[in-house]
Amino acid sequence: MTNVSVATAPTTAGVGPAAITIDALGKRYGTGPLVLDDINLSIEAGQFVCLLGASGCGKSTLLNIIAGLEKPTEGSVTVASGKAAVMFQDAALFPWLTAGRNVELALKLGGVPRKERSGAALELLDLVNLADAADKRPHELSGGMRQRVALARSLAQDRKVLLMDEPFAALDAITRDLLHEELERVWRQTGRTIVFVTHNVREAARLGQRILLMSSRPGRIVNEWTITDTGSRRIESPEVARLGDEITDQLREEIRRNAA
Amino acid sequence: MPLDTRTGTASDPDHDELRRLEAGLDSLQAVPEPPRGAFRRTLDGVVPPILLLITLVAAWQAYIVIAKPRPDLIPGPFDVFGALVSAWSSERLQLAVLTSLERGGLGFLIAVAIGTPIGLLLAECRPVRRALGPLLSGLQVLPSVAWVPAAIIWFGLTDATVYFVVLMGAVPSIANGLVSGVDQIPPQLRRVGTVLGASRVQMATLVVLPAALPGYFSGLKQGWAFAWRSLMAAEIIAMGGTMGFGLGSMLQQSRELADLSGVLATILVILFVGILVELVVFAPIERRLLRRRGLMAAGLR
Repeated sequence: MTNVSVATAPTTAGVGPAAITIDALGKRYGTGPLVLDDINLSIEAGQFVCLLGASGCGKSTLLNIIAGLEKPTEGSVTVASGKAAVMFQDAALFPWLTAGRNVELALKLGGVPRKERSGAALELLDLVNLADAADKRPHELSGGMRQRVALARSLAQDRKVLLMDEPFAALDAITRDLLHEELERVWRQTGRTIVFVTHNVREAARLGQRILLMSSRPGRIVNEWTITDTGSRRIESPEVARLGDEITDQLREEIRRNAA
Repeated sequence: MPLDTRTGTASDPDHDELRRLEAGLDSLQAVPEPPRGAFRRTLDGVVPPILLLITLVAAWQAYIVIAKPRPDLIPGPFDVFGALVSAWSSERLQLAVLTSLERGGLGFLIAVAIGTPIGLLLAECRPVRRALGPLLSGLQVLPSVAWVPAAIIWFGLTDATVYFVVLMGAVPSIANGLVSGVDQIPPQLRRVGTVLGASRVQMATLVVLPAALPGYFSGLKQGWAFAWRSLMAAEIIAMGGTMGFGLGSMLQQSRELADLSGVLATILVILFVGILVELVVFAPIERRLLRRRGLMAAGLR
């Protein structure tokens, strides 16, 4: 059976080399209030990290800064392997291209020679069980299928770090559950470092090896949990439920602090 | 690229299970498009307007038969048809249609060549947009016939006058269409382009232009409508000199001869050419464009 060990005190970097290093990071928009405050983080290569927090706590902002889409006000972010691949809540496939062509475009922009593209795209689609849908256009696909094409597209970038911004938030529960399994399998198979932003506690407890809890206004990392068990776990399992309860209690406490 | 992902998955029973599950869910959630033959679609598109046309002509003829108005003030459908036949047999009709279509088509193509870069510049360059945007919107509202007197003074009674007026009508529409097409691109698509590592040129050619295509296309359609209207106005006002004989000239000539049947026949031809260009050139491209992107309402498929 699984064995979830909980470390309540924020731990420092793990044993492996750091894929992402964040140092004294702060962010504010213009002269507005601080969105992110003094974030220090070191993410080990190959780790699956879930970034958890209430809406508006700045977790997406943090992800965008790691992705290089926004600039930090203070501090620095280093992604050891260069740039990172990003996947959004909305699949954002190009509607004028088929699923296969969407993946091929990512390969093209990543500098893959023309001859190898269509074969590589098919392989990537096969990885998310969508090889048969390569000729379909985005509007012909269901939400879950679109999100899997988006996953294949971000894998096409062949970058060691994959950043995911609530990628399954808009999907129904059955599809989401399947995609958790899919993502975990892809992660194990490709050895990517994944930073997964979510507001869903169970999702974080189901997927993460390491879960970071963020407070709101300003966004700080207030706690973290490391799951030592390396096996797969189901979202219904008692370990996930127990961990979820514990995280939920603390998340609520953080939210209550904003009531005054 | 290390895409050695396929190996090792084939024999994994858990993975096979997941594959089957996903395949089942995919087929449950996929939206099948109702197949509909091209013949049926054409039939559905052609029959209603033809029925309406027959009804209108019948009502017109009935009015002529019952009210018996003066034929020089209100000619019947047969008089108008006769005027068409005589224009055809004297080859004036063919000449006029060809001249006008050539001018309209060429003028439209030149307008596309000028309007597209202007639109791109306006859409992507903020200072240019602030400076030029209001002027271009104003030009779109200004009836391009207003340029005819000036054009005649500048270029005399030559084809240059006609092309100038056509351009003043069509270019603003095309440029504005492209601008609004670019404005309507979901910001997420550009973000994806950035994330995928597109350079500025790649972003423009691979993301922005294809994404703006529906808006650009409706700009082109409007541009053609403005070009055709401006052309008719210019041909009616400016006649003689080295100018060829277009549909507008034919209209004006019939008026001078007080030939109302001829006037009505020419109006019908002008209308018909407009409808034909829409049906033959624009509608198929637009339908294809929208359907490929899933933007077509179910009833219009």
